[in-house]
Amino acid sequence: MATDPRAFVRTRRVVAIGLVVVVLLGMLTVRLWDLQVTNGARYRALADDNRILRLPVTADRGIILDRTGKILVRNIPGFAVSIVPVDLPRIREIDVAGRLGVLVGREGQEILELIAAQRVRNPYEPVKVSTKPIAREVALLLAERAEAYPGVRIDAESIRQYLDGPLYSPLMGYVGPIRPDELELKRDAGYLPTDDVGRTGLEWEYERYLRGTYGWREVERDAAQREIKTLAETPPAPGGNLKLTVDDRLQRIIAAELQAGVDKDAFTQGVGVAINPQNGEILAMVSTPAYDNNVFIRGVTTAEMKAFNSDDRHPLVNKAVGEIYPPGSTFKMVTGLAALTDGTANRNTQVNVTSNSFSISGTSFFDWRAHGLLDFVNGFAHSSDIYFYSLAGGSPMSGVRGVGPDAIAKYAHMLGFGQRTGIDLPGEANGIMPDPAWKQEVFGEPWSIGNTYHEAIGQGFVAVTPLQLVNAYAAVANGGTVYVPHLLKEVDDLLGNPLLVKPPEVARKLEMKPEDLRLIRESARRVVTVGHAYMPNAKLPIAGKTGTAEFGPSGGRDSAGRNLLGFHNWFVSFVPKADNTDPTAEIAMVLFTFNSSKSLCDSCLNPAVAMTQRIYETYLLGAPAGDKKASLP
Amino acid sequence: MSVGPVTMARAASPLHDRPTFRRLEQIDPYLLLATLLLVAYGLVIAYSTSFEDRTTTDPLQSVAKAVVFAVLGLGLMAAVAYFDYAWFGVLAPLLYLLTIGLLILVLVIGHNILGGQRWVTIAGQKFQVSEFAKVLMIVVLAKWFADRHDRIQSPLVLLGALVLLIPPWALVYRQPDLGTSLVFVAIFFGMAFIAGARLWQLASLVAIGIASFPLVWSFLQGYQRARLTAFLDPYADPQGAGWNIIQSLIAIGSGQAMGKGLTAGTQSPLGYLPIAESDFVFAGLAEDLGFVGALILFALFAVLLVAALRIAVRARDPFGNYVAGGVVAMLAFQIVVNVGMAMSLMPVTGIPLPFISHGGSSLLSICLALGMLQSVAMRRDQNRLRT
Repeated sequence: MATDPRAFVRTRRVVAIGLVVVVLLGMLTVRLWDLQVTNGARYRALADDNRILRLPVTADRGIILDRTGKILVRNIPGFAVSIVPVDLPRIREIDVAGRLGVLVGREGQEILELIAAQRVRNPYEPVKVSTKPIAREVALLLAERAEAYPGVRIDAESIRQYLDGPLYSPLMGYVGPIRPDELELKRDAGYLPTDDVGRTGLEWEYERYLRGTYGWREVERDAAQREIKTLAETPPAPGGNLKLTVDDRLQRIIAAELQAGVDKDAFTQGVGVAINPQNGEILAMVSTPAYDNNVFIRGVTTAEMKAFNSDDRHPLVNKAVGEIYPPGSTFKMVTGLAALTDGTANRNTQVNVTSNSFSISGTSFFDWRAHGLLDFVNGFAHSSDIYFYSLAGGSPMSGVRGVGPDAIAKYAHMLGFGQRTGIDLPGEANGIMPDPAWKQEVFGEPWSIGNTYHEAIGQGFVAVTPLQLVNAYAAVANGGTVYVPHLLKEVDDLLGNPLLVKPPEVARKLEMKPEDLRLIRESARRVVTVGHAYMPNAKLPIAGKTGTAEFGPSGGRDSAGRNLLGFHNWFVSFVPKADNTDPTAEIAMVLFTFNSSKSLCDSCLNPAVAMTQRIYETYLLGAPAGDKKASLP
Repeated sequence: MSVGPVTMARAASPLHDRPTFRRLEQIDPYLLLATLLLVAYGLVIAYSTSFEDRTTTDPLQSVAKAVVFAVLGLGLMAAVAYFDYAWFGVLAPLLYLLTIGLLILVLVIGHNILGGQRWVTIAGQKFQVSEFAKVLMIVVLAKWFADRHDRIQSPLVLLGALVLLIPPWALVYRQPDLGTSLVFVAIFFGMAFIAGARLWQLASLVAIGIASFPLVWSFLQGYQRARLTAFLDPYADPQGAGWNIIQSLIAIGSGQAMGKGLTAGTQSPLGYLPIAESDFVFAGLAEDLGFVGALILFALFAVLLVAALRIAVRARDPFGNYVAGGVVAMLAFQIVVNVGMAMSLMPVTGIPLPFISHGGSSLLSICLALGMLQSVAMRRDQNRLRT
């Protein structure tokens, strides 16, 4: 047996093993290169993410005060629940989300979707799952049974409290949880998924001042999430406090008057806006019925939201800026100023209203009575429709050449109609200020003389917001300056020192003669002293103009026996310093009552007139409280 | 040149060569150098991980312990090399019984650590018997194959080896120590391959193993299954089964090219890498020393394994050849699986990284194996000298 004694050495197999070893080590090296060199920086960041936790230190949102420093909106402590997806094992997700859903009042599926989305975005960052502050007992339960709720975090948070919900909700709006799409835009500004942001109103408008600047605390933590040490710290800067131009006392007086009227069913909705004509500061802005914005803080229910949306009184809308109405006779100021400025009329322009109607090509145009011979002041004071038909379009009762719709539109725009005033609130409507070109464009029809007449008395197409109307009258009251109305007086720091003071902003100067503006002021005063809005025992030199706009079918009654034909009533007014025609008024106000005439009567007084008198006297003179409850006519 | 039966018999006897260092010049220098450097590397890592471990009150003590074991290991290696490795072949049956006896002892009186009974205390020192069992099984299987090397292609020889393997394998698996039991399988296949078993026979065994995977799965413990699935998607349970893998990847990746420096790693000190001194030691190493440090380690391993394979080729007899092959199979498997596991290329199994993982038993058993390899190297030309 002459075998090779070294036949047992299988060299090829040994080499094969050697090659396998080298190839495997090579593969490990490739993988190592991928981890350490190609992706090293990413893993370094992850290691730091592990170790270094950058904890945001939230800043207190600024509070909101009235012009005297009375607190209107503040923060109270509460609890919020969030989930850090990386700490929640996937296999327990469904179970935890389901149980948590019961505790925070949400569907488990909703919570699962939030977690899934956050896992994709950044699993190390908490996502807030409670939409409303949770009860203290629930917070304690979750904290005690942490092992049953992995990844669940309880945070103390500030909860927004609106001290007089409905009184100020049209102004304040409310805050709500940030939406994912907003977060993408605002992440660079330091927003967190758990943050609330202003959703509407001043909360939205002045988010940048209210929010403050978050601080940061960098802590080193171990795998058990214990903080080992604080590495760095930047304290937060609290948000600025908003001091508004609003005077809470006036706000309450107006709201009480409007509420009394609604309670009495004298009208269904009411708006009151008071402004300082000298600088555009809004002194009060009431829109009723409103809503309790605290409802949105604790989490609005589907039923509540449905009720808000189906309420035809639109409680969620700030009707002072967000809805438009026909201005009625209050618009006669515009018609009059257009005719005066254009030179087609002056204070002595006469119209002899011998009848309460006249006809043009078969169509009749009415006045509310046959006034007889009127000059400008009396035409305005008695709110003669035919007088202003004549100024606008001419008429058989006068030799006046009508100023025409284009001129009326021009001066109306100058006074601020048909465009936003620029107030510091979201959701402001433009209003409609038509002219012949507008009608041709929108309706494809030419303008008619009837359109001119209707426009002259604020009916027809023209539609205004209450704020536009009072701002236009304020410009007349101050002698010709249109201000941008504003609610923010200043932004204060914690100690009340102003960080920013909002200066008056002039939108434009009226290109009108001072004597024409003076004539309007004189006429408006006559409205109160002898005219359409006669105020008995008036203690203040109130001047103003009434307005009544009809809406609905012109005849018939509803099942409750009320007239289907409804009226909106206006009274827009200002109070000069003394009983003269100087442009000294520091307060102008509009009251608007929606659907005022449940029981139609021709002689029914405009309810806004008496309310205006009581409001001014209570606010400016401090009339006895008993007077506030005085009955409406 | 013909070799008579008498010569063969004498050559196979251990008694022809008295214990001696007279062939010191025959020692394999590459194997020795790689061994010394790897032991030193292990000490450096022991130093780093000990100081990174914030749960240890006296890191110096663990370093001192590592040094003691390194010295003991190198002493053991020298002592083993001093003897003719043939003695191990002669004693193989006894060693086999000793292995099984010790493994049974572990099951009976062993300490329960981390969910497995793997340790016995001898002279106040905890020993992990399965580590030594691996080396002893290499000897046993080498003896089995060497005695039958002329009919190595018979399926009966392969099956016989399998039968020898099963009792210690089952005992290790029972501890339970899935990792070490897999090393046994690797040793078996590696040695059968080196010894020249027919490839189709080996392939059949592999096929049977794969086919029976569902059965094996049903026998696996819950935590073992969780580890296997965690490797496929660590993020499914990032706080549970996936935790170690994720944190290991973060540790390795964050080391980048040059590493954070010795004792400067952050993953282990803060507890993100829970077993950074044993199973996941490579992650800590790669974090501290970076790509460069890991590459040096790979290079040393490559030198060690290639040197061992060269010793196998040059061995004077089949027994030495097979012992060397078995040691290569054991070390290579442990290296690839441990490093692959740390880099999420393989499921997590508790297999220590040779030289680097802490643990006296692991180091001592490796030194025992490398002592045998040096003994094989030093006596590679004996046939030529004697004839």
